Amino acid sequence: MLYLSQILGGRVEDSADQVVGRLKDILVESKPGNYARIVFLLVKSKKGEDIFIPYEYVESLGRQTVDLKNIFDKINLAPTPSRCIYLSRDILDQQIVDVDGARVVRVNDLSLGIFEDQMCVLGVDVSFRGILRRLGVAWLDPFRLVSVHLVDWRKVQPVKGALKLDTISSDLRKLHPADLANIIEDLNLHHGTKLVNSLESREAAKVLEELNPHLQKILIKHLGPAKAGRIIEKMSTDEIADLMQLFSQKEAQKYLSLLQDSRVEKVTKLIKYEDDTAGGLMNTDFISGHPDWTVAQMIEEIRKYSPDMRSITFVYVVDNFGKFLGPVSLRNLLLADNKEKLKELYKSADRLATLRPDYPLDKVVNLMTKYDLYSAAVISHDGKIAGVVTIDDVMRCLAPKA
Amino acid sequence: MKIMRYIKNSSWYIRLAFILSVIGPGIIAANADNDAGGITTYSIAGAHFGTKMLWVLFLITFSLAITQEMGVRIGLVTRQGLAGVIRENFGLRLTAFAMILMLIANIGTITAEFAGVAAAFSIFGWSKYLVVPISALAVWFILYKGSFKTTQKIFLLFSFFYIVYIVNGFVVGPDFGQAAKSLITPTIEWTMPFLVTMIALIGTTITPWGQFFIQSYVVDKGLEAKHYRIERWEVFFGAFVTNIVSFFIIISTAATLYKHGIHITDASDAARALEPLAGQLAQILFAFGLFVASMLGAFILPTATAYAFCEAFGWESGFDTTWKSGKTFYGIILACIVVPVIIVLIPKISLIKIMVLSQDINGILLPFILLFVMKIINDRRIMGEHVNKPIGNIISWLTIVGILVATAALLVISFIGYY
Repeated sequence: MLYLSQILGGRVEDSADQVVGRLKDILVESKPGNYARIVFLLVKSKKGEDIFIPYEYVESLGRQTVDLKNIFDKINLAPTPSRCIYLSRDILDQQIVDVDGARVVRVNDLSLGIFEDQMCVLGVDVSFRGILRRLGVAWLDPFRLVSVHLVDWRKVQPVKGALKLDTISSDLRKLHPADLANIIEDLNLHHGTKLVNSLESREAAKVLEELNPHLQKILIKHLGPAKAGRIIEKMSTDEIADLMQLFSQKEAQKYLSLLQDSRVEKVTKLIKYEDDTAGGLMNTDFISGHPDWTVAQMIEEIRKYSPDMRSITFVYVVDNFGKFLGPVSLRNLLLADNKEKLKELYKSADRLATLRPDYPLDKVVNLMTKYDLYSAAVISHDGKIAGVVTIDDVMRCLAPKA
Repeated sequence: MKIMRYIKNSSWYIRLAFILSVIGPGIIAANADNDAGGITTYSIAGAHFGTKMLWVLFLITFSLAITQEMGVRIGLVTRQGLAGVIRENFGLRLTAFAMILMLIANIGTITAEFAGVAAAFSIFGWSKYLVVPISALAVWFILYKGSFKTTQKIFLLFSFFYIVYIVNGFVVGPDFGQAAKSLITPTIEWTMPFLVTMIALIGTTITPWGQFFIQSYVVDKGLEAKHYRIERWEVFFGAFVTNIVSFFIIISTAATLYKHGIHITDASDAARALEPLAGQLAQILFAFGLFVASMLGAFILPTATAYAFCEAFGWESGFDTTWKSGKTFYGIILACIVVPVIIVLIPKISLIKIMVLSQDINGILLPFILLFVMKIINDRRIMGEHVNKPIGNIISWLTIVGILVATAALLVISFIGYY
């Protein structure tokens, strides 16, 4: 197997065995989901200039020497290429995302080889063996007790240099937001910011919610107001409230001014509640319906607001005065006849365990466990529904490290 | 808007949090210099050589300020620790070299910390075979189970204890005129003990780990470029304060021990410098201070070492990782505790010598780490417009050359002395 570390610095000779220079770097073209094809060699010529030799001119790539097909004068040197990745400069020794393992690793070496008749980068060596090889002390381990661990090139995401949307591996975008958040926590801030920037606002919002608060704050500042505003807009209201509490007055004002007024009002209401109470835990994004609506009308309403909601498991029936009557589960909506009215379907709030905004965390936990609730409505003193506490809000408080 | 009123009402703590979030790295890193190795080295410098070394202390105050400021600047620009910056810009070989130097220096310092624990309890006649393993277990347990950050803060708070030396300095009523003169009068003795103490003095004040520590601190805190100006003054202030304390330790020991020709061979000798202030309590006071300062270092250093290694080589780190995925991280921490403990437990080994010689190792290795820092800070590709100004370069180079000359002199003299 051929490794980048073994060929870098090697002599580059033309077909007349004249030394052209030394191999300084290798440039590849990388498309997500493919092995990266070698397109140019960056050679430091005998005069000390950097020259780019197109890979078509390369006869063989060996450990000591690189042989060219033509004599040097016949080679058309390329101008400085754009949109190429420099293997030594941008990849080797840098952090890289191992998408399958959902982790950040450092590149100790790169393995090269032929794939579909093209010289390509096949794998990323992240093992201790790679370190030994680079240090030239692989002989310390003659019995190969330390094994090579290669990560398939198609399953990694480089982060140095420009990170454009079309160079982001789709597998990375398919990762769970919590895994992406872990990756961002491990990257340095510049790269982490770039990764968040390359995500769609909705996806970025989910990832941001999963980050630890300290990093949330740093990242928001680092993203700049425009992008930060777009992401915050997509976060759920309770998360925005938590986030705003991390900032100083002036900064919070700046970010809130980017949101719609109705949103700001909701956030403001939430912030007033203590952290470890039902009010502090609840989310104010929920769908309510009128008792006289039919199931069909309700489903239409759900369709309309669904894009703004993180999850929907219940709809909440509220009378003309805003008084909470009771919930209807999605399941019952699904089973009911389209013409049936909500007032025939909801479970009366009187016979239901509901929460008050000032209930402390342990009381919330006890109630939800006792009655096997996935979510519980929070009812304020005037009988109006203030928000909904779902089990994931509670879990986060109980196991903050996960 | 209601939210504004809310934040306005609670702004006093938000503002305080802002101030506290910025003030920190410089003063904390500088304050952590007064660990077991530091306290012993300063005591010996004063007890054995009077005020003769004050000029060195005066000069390295500037070196400390400048080198720490460079660490802050690199952290602000690159947003990663020194180990990561070295790895990404110098390749694997030089990284391995830098990391091994750091490991040796840090193991040396941790050994000094455990020697400090042993020395503190030796004042009460407690056996080191008892207290060192117990404190090592305590360190491991708190690191593994408890909160690293909280513990670190508690011990840092305790380490301000050394301000008693300032009070003590005034109680002793030393010759401040003489001290001031010594500050600006270079005196050097071309002898082994003098050079050994001098290099230790430099090595305990400006440390390789301090360079890694301040940069990581800036990165972890998420400080912004706009904080740079405050941060720079804080670093300068921190360097000044820590060396004021060092100054008073030296003049305290100079006015008490040096005057009576007492050489420090164990901790209770060093403790006698506090007698003018504390009288009978001097021994207890000194033992307490030495113990907390030692424990502070014993906490920070193994963890800091492990974080740097994992950053350089891309291994998983952090106390929230599992044993399996974080085995290298935990392994390094364990090694950084176990090896020093074994060294300290060698029968009949001189604790005082461990504490001073480990600082010599730090001093001798420091120039190499500073070379990396200098290369990074002057590289426009890394630092952009934030490269060093000439004054920073001059002071840093003088520091590096100064230590190298002193080390070379020490080598020559020990060679001559041998034959």
